[in-house]
Amino acid sequence: MRGMIFDVQEMTVHDGPGCRITFFLKGCPLTCRWCHNPEGQHFEQEIMFVKNRCTHCGSCVQNGKRNPELCPTGALKTCGQQITSEELVQRAVKMKSTLEMLEGGVTFSGGEPCAQPEFLLDCLTQLKKEGIHTAIETSGYCDEIWFRKIIEQCDYVMMDLKLMDDHQHYQMTGVSNKIILKNAEILKNSGLSFCFRTPLIPGITDTEKNLSELALWIGQSPWEKIPYNELASVKYEQLNRTYSLK
Amino acid sequence: MTLKDTILNKKHIHHRIRIEEMAEDFKRRHLSDRERVVERFERMCEKEKPVILDDQQIVMMRTVENLPDCFTAEEWDENRRHHYVHETGYVSNLLPDYESLIHDGLLPLYQKSDVYVQRELDALFSLCDRYQKEAEKMGRMDVAESFSWIPRKGARTLKEAFQFFRILHYAYLLEGGYQIVAGRVDQIFYPYLKKDMEERRLSESEALELVKDFFLSFNIDSDFYDGVQQGDNGQSVVLGGVDKSGKESFNLLSKLCLQASKENRLIDPKINLRVSKETPLEIYELGSYLTKEGLGFPQYLNDDVIIEGLIKKGYALEDARDYAVAACWEIIIPKKGFEVVNIGACSFPKVLEDVLHSKRKAETFDELMIQVKNQIEIECSQIISQYQQVYFVPAPLMEASLDIQYRNFGIHGTGCSTAVDSLWALKQLVYDEKQFSIDEIIEITDHNFEGYPDLLHRLRYELPKMGQNHSGCDDIACTLLKWFCESLKGKKNEWGGIFRAGTGTAMFYLDHANEIGASCDGRKKGEPFSANYSPSLYAKIHGPLSIIESFTKPDVCDAMNGGPLTLEFSSSMFADPQSIRKTALFVKAFVQKGGHQLQCNSVNLNDLKEAQHHPERFRHLIVRIWGWSAYFVELDKDFQDHVIARQEYAL
Repeated sequence: MRGMIFDVQEMTVHDGPGCRITFFLKGCPLTCRWCHNPEGQHFEQEIMFVKNRCTHCGSCVQNGKRNPELCPTGALKTCGQQITSEELVQRAVKMKSTLEMLEGGVTFSGGEPCAQPEFLLDCLTQLKKEGIHTAIETSGYCDEIWFRKIIEQCDYVMMDLKLMDDHQHYQMTGVSNKIILKNAEILKNSGLSFCFRTPLIPGITDTEKNLSELALWIGQSPWEKIPYNELASVKYEQLNRTYSLK
Repeated sequence: MTLKDTILNKKHIHHRIRIEEMAEDFKRRHLSDRERVVERFERMCEKEKPVILDDQQIVMMRTVENLPDCFTAEEWDENRRHHYVHETGYVSNLLPDYESLIHDGLLPLYQKSDVYVQRELDALFSLCDRYQKEAEKMGRMDVAESFSWIPRKGARTLKEAFQFFRILHYAYLLEGGYQIVAGRVDQIFYPYLKKDMEERRLSESEALELVKDFFLSFNIDSDFYDGVQQGDNGQSVVLGGVDKSGKESFNLLSKLCLQASKENRLIDPKINLRVSKETPLEIYELGSYLTKEGLGFPQYLNDDVIIEGLIKKGYALEDARDYAVAACWEIIIPKKGFEVVNIGACSFPKVLEDVLHSKRKAETFDELMIQVKNQIEIECSQIISQYQQVYFVPAPLMEASLDIQYRNFGIHGTGCSTAVDSLWALKQLVYDEKQFSIDEIIEITDHNFEGYPDLLHRLRYELPKMGQNHSGCDDIACTLLKWFCESLKGKKNEWGGIFRAGTGTAMFYLDHANEIGASCDGRKKGEPFSANYSPSLYAKIHGPLSIIESFTKPDVCDAMNGGPLTLEFSSSMFADPQSIRKTALFVKAFVQKGGHQLQCNSVNLNDLKEAQHHPERFRHLIVRIWGWSAYFVELDKDFQDHVIARQEYAL
C-alpha cells in the first residue's frame, strides 16, 4: 500500500520512548493557526524554496518554469514523497537491532498520521509483526472505528488536547473538538500506554481557563505541556503561504 | 582575577622574552645533531625565568617564547636530499613512560644514562631549583616543598605527581618534541589520589580542584604548540578502558577528570574515553554530559575493536590493553612505541581517478573493481617506498623515557566515502542503466559537469551514498577498506616494523581533494572530501542511525591506525537527563555494532554562527526545534538567526 510522507527523521529523542525513527505523514484535516509543520497540511506534493541556499544560478529554469530536479544546491525541493508500506517497514527492519539497543522504535507523526488510516494501519501492523515498538503523535481527529484499530497496533500513543472550548477549537483549528474528546475518552479507557499533549500557544491554549478545564478533564492521566515554537513562520514563507499568527 | 581568567586573558604573557638564534653558531662549531639538541636545551633552561602566578598550584610556564631551530635552512635542505624527513623532523606523537619516572624520580634515570641525558637533566634540575627559590621568596611554601623533593625523587602526593608530569611534559617540548601526548592519566595518577584520600590529605572536592588546576596547566603555553591549526597541539588524555590485566579501570579519578574538563570548558587537554560493550551506561552518560559542553570531546574509543586489531597486528596482549592515542586518534602504546602514526596517506578517489584514466576501460563493474584493487596495491607500494632513510632529530631525554618495542608506520585512508559514492554512481549509470558510456562519464567529470546540471543534481542528491544504510554502497566500502588493509599486509618498513592502515584523513581531506579533478559522485573540482571516516558532504543523510549502520559494516579492526566517524548534534539534543541518557544509548549502540572511534559534537552558538558563513562545513548539523529537527544550513537566514537568538538566551 502507498502513502505520502514529507520527512523521515532518525534519532528523534522527544517522540516517544528511547531513540526513534519518526515518519511524518503528509496531510492534515486541521488547520491550526500555529502549525509548525505547514508542509504537512496539504495531502499533495508541493515545492519548497530555501532562499539562502539559492545562488541564482538559473539552472532550474526549464520552459519558463522552475524545476526542482535541476537545482544544484538543493534550494528548491519537492516536498512530499510516495512510499509503500513495505519500503517504510523495511527501512526500520534494517536497523531493528539498533533500535532495540536504543530502547526505541518507530513513531508516526505528521501532518495527521490518522488521515491516511489504511496506510498507517498497514505500516503499524507490519511493524508490530516484526517486533518493533510503535508509536503515533496524533490530533485524535479521526473516525472512531479507524482510531480504535490504529491505537490497538500502537505500543505508545501521544495525543494532542488543544482547547476545551469547542467554539474556540473550531476557530483556531478549523474543526470541532467533539470527535477528539470522544477518541481521547477511548484512549483513556484503552489500557494502553499513552500521554496527552498540549502545545502552549500564548493567549490561545495557555490561558488559565483552558488549562484548568484541560486539567479537570485529563484528571490523573499523563499530560505534557509543550512550549510554543516561534520559528514556524519561516516554513510558511518557504511554501509561499501566510502565517496567521505572525 | 582567577588563574583561569589570567590565562584566558593572556595576562601571563608579559613575562615572555626571546632567545637568540643558534643554528649558525652550532654549524660553525661543527656540533653533532645530538650535541645541538642538548646545548639548545641547556641554553633554554638557563634563559627560562621561574614565574609562579597567583593561586597557581601546578607551576612552570614557558617564558622564552621562541625555540630556535637546531639547524640552518641549508642544512635542512641537504638533509632532505638524503633522507625522508617527517614533517618538521623533530619527534612527535610519542607517549613516554610518565608512570615510572614520576614514581621513581629522575635520579635513577640520571645514574643509568649517557652524558647527553645527564646534561639535560642537570639543566632541568637547575631550573627546578630556581623555581624552589622563587617559591620560597614569594612565600609559596607548598610549591617550594614540592620542588625540594621532585623531580629528583619520586612524587609522594597527587599534587607532586601532577607537578612532576608538568616538568616532564615541559622538558620534552623544550627538547623539540611536539604533539607529546599525556596518555592514560587516570591510570598513572590514581594510586596517588587513593593514597592521599586514605591518609586524609585530600577530600574528593579538593581533588577535583587539583585536577582542574592540572588541566589548566595544559593551556598556559598551548599557543606555542600549534599544529595544522591552533589547538592541534596533541595534548590528549585517555580515560577508562580495561587495565593491563583486562579489568575495567574507570575509577574515581577518571570521573573527576571528566568533571574537571566539563567545569574548565577549555580545549585542552582533549579527552578520549575508552569504552566497550561491557562498559556500564552510566559511564557513557558521563561522556554525554561532557559532549553537551560543545568542546568536541570526549572522543570515544572502542576497546573491543582496537585491542583485537592491535593483537592482530602483532602487539602483545598486555600492551594492546594499555593503548592510548596520539595527537588525534592514532592508536599508540605508552612507552613502548616509537611509531610514525601519520607518515602517509592513500587517497581512494585518486586511485579511482587513475583507474578511469588508464588505457583499458572496464567492460563490467566487476572488472572495474578488479582494476581498483590492482591500483590500490600499486598506490600503496608507491606510498610506502617513499619512506626510506627516515630521519628524526635526536631527543635524548625522550629516548631515555621509552623502552622501544614497536616501530610501525601508519597510513591514513582518505576520501573513502567519496570513492564509494563515485563507484556506485558508475555502477548504476554506466553498467546497470547503461545511460552513459564510461568514456562519456569520464569526459563529463573531467569537464567539471559543465552543461550537465541535471546529471550533477542526480549524482549529488539522488543516487545512494555511503551513510544511508544502502547495502550496495556499504558493500563497496567494506571491499575498498579490505583491499587497502591487504595491500599493506606483510610489508615491512626500514625499521623492521609494519604498516598500519587507517580511516583518518588529518589535513589530507583538503590536500588530496586538490590533487584530483571532479569525481563521479558529483563532487566538483576543488571541493573537499569529508574529514576522516564520514559521509561525503553531498550525501543526503537520512540521519545518525543510518550513518552508524553504514559505518559499522566495514571491518575496521584491521584498519586500526584510527580515524573517527564524526557526528554533530545541536546542544538542544542534550537538554535534559532523559536526552543525555538517549545519546549515551546511541554511543553505546555504535560501540556494540563494532564501530572503532566516534566523535559526537554538540554544536554551540559559535559553531552556529560559523555555519552561517561556512555552510559546507556544517552540512550535517542538526538543530532541534520543538516538534521537529532540521539541518541548520538548510534553514533560511532569518530562521538561523532565530535559532541563534534562542541559543543566546539558553545559557
